[in-house]
Amino acid sequence: MRVSCGSGLPALVLAVCCGATFAASAAPDLESFWTPKLERARSGQALIDELPKAAVLINDTGAGELAAGDFAGLKLKPGAIEQVKAYDYKQELKRENTCNAPSVAFFMQAPFPMEIYQGEKLIVLKMEYFDLYRVIFLDGRPHPPAGAPHSKAGHSVGHWDGDTLVVDTTHIEAGTFMNNGFNHSEALHMVERFRMSPDGKTLWLTQLYDDPATFEGLAARYMAWTRKPGDFVYPYDCDPSYGE
Amino acid sequence: MIKVEELGKKLGQLEAVARTLGGATIVMIQGALVLGVCVIAGLRPTPAAAHHSFAVHFVADKVVNVSGTVTEFSFRNPHGLIALTVKGPQGEEQAWKVETNSPNILRRRGWTETSIKPGDKVTIEGYPARDGSSFMRVYKVTFPDGRELVGQRPDPTVTDGKD
Repeated sequence: MRVSCGSGLPALVLAVCCGATFAASAAPDLESFWTPKLERARSGQALIDELPKAAVLINDTGAGELAAGDFAGLKLKPGAIEQVKAYDYKQELKRENTCNAPSVAFFMQAPFPMEIYQGEKLIVLKMEYFDLYRVIFLDGRPHPPAGAPHSKAGHSVGHWDGDTLVVDTTHIEAGTFMNNGFNHSEALHMVERFRMSPDGKTLWLTQLYDDPATFEGLAARYMAWTRKPGDFVYPYDCDPSYGE
Repeated sequence: MIKVEELGKKLGQLEAVARTLGGATIVMIQGALVLGVCVIAGLRPTPAAAHHSFAVHFVADKVVNVSGTVTEFSFRNPHGLIALTVKGPQGEEQAWKVETNSPNILRRRGWTETSIKPGDKVTIEGYPARDGSSFMRVYKVTFPDGRELVGQRPDPTVTDGKD
């Protein structure tokens, strides 16, 4: 519902009032349970086409994974090459590492569902994978200072660009980037674009990454989910005793 | 740097907003408050050690199969485990470990904690470990009566029916 904001209000109040109301009335409704859509052909190719042409698209989403030494064509920086060379895959099977969840630069592509809760100033993503969650602020706040603590989900601020939710995330704890020993740094910056199909049944996402400390240029991923109203995420309850 | 008190205040405001979004969200935001305070209190992020990769540890384009008796079945994330004893070529007993994909994924395909029990005779098809050890990732478990439990399909875009 669109409302008239009148003309006698102070400019600031007017902006907040109109901005909030417009966001509530015009924003697509993402609130639902969404389950990963494993596609042979990418139904959201249009969103991919909007990525910068120079971005390297990492094709390891959903059930896909890259083999050791395959970095999807991305050119790693010398420090990252050394880090990969020193990586010991057997450590992944150790009990102390079994439940060490990846960061948002990797966990969104895992083949697990999520629930989205949507408000005017806040969107929450409850992920099944490792019981993780994300909070996306839509209230115009800035990111914390550069030295503030980092986390798996990072700090996300978003806005609506027409029918597309644009999310900017910083303060992401260093972690898995390709699940084959290549990790991103704490300086990784991620910009996401969420968009629904016209029928509202599919949710598409592209993630665009910039991490000059570990790779040259830009990298990106694409993923898709199917709306499944009424379903819900299961508890993950990671059990470290799986490890050796 | 944000102070603990300021963070608590901000997250308190966030919780109030979240109350309009449902009970589950409130629990999550309360978790965020605890996490945020812990981080500010000085706990540093740990270096990454990834949840392990299928492609790195297993051969995706090869399927092997073993038949034997189940000795143990664990159905917990991040992976379930089936331990079984298999008769080797000379009649010797071999201990195999079979990893499943996430129990959450399998639960939606009908698996439960009691789908496999110690003592069950099973044939398991799966993707062998790259290091040649007696370890594999499950594709399919078949019981003597023909009943099947499907784990990780060769073609992940197949979500039901035959591969």
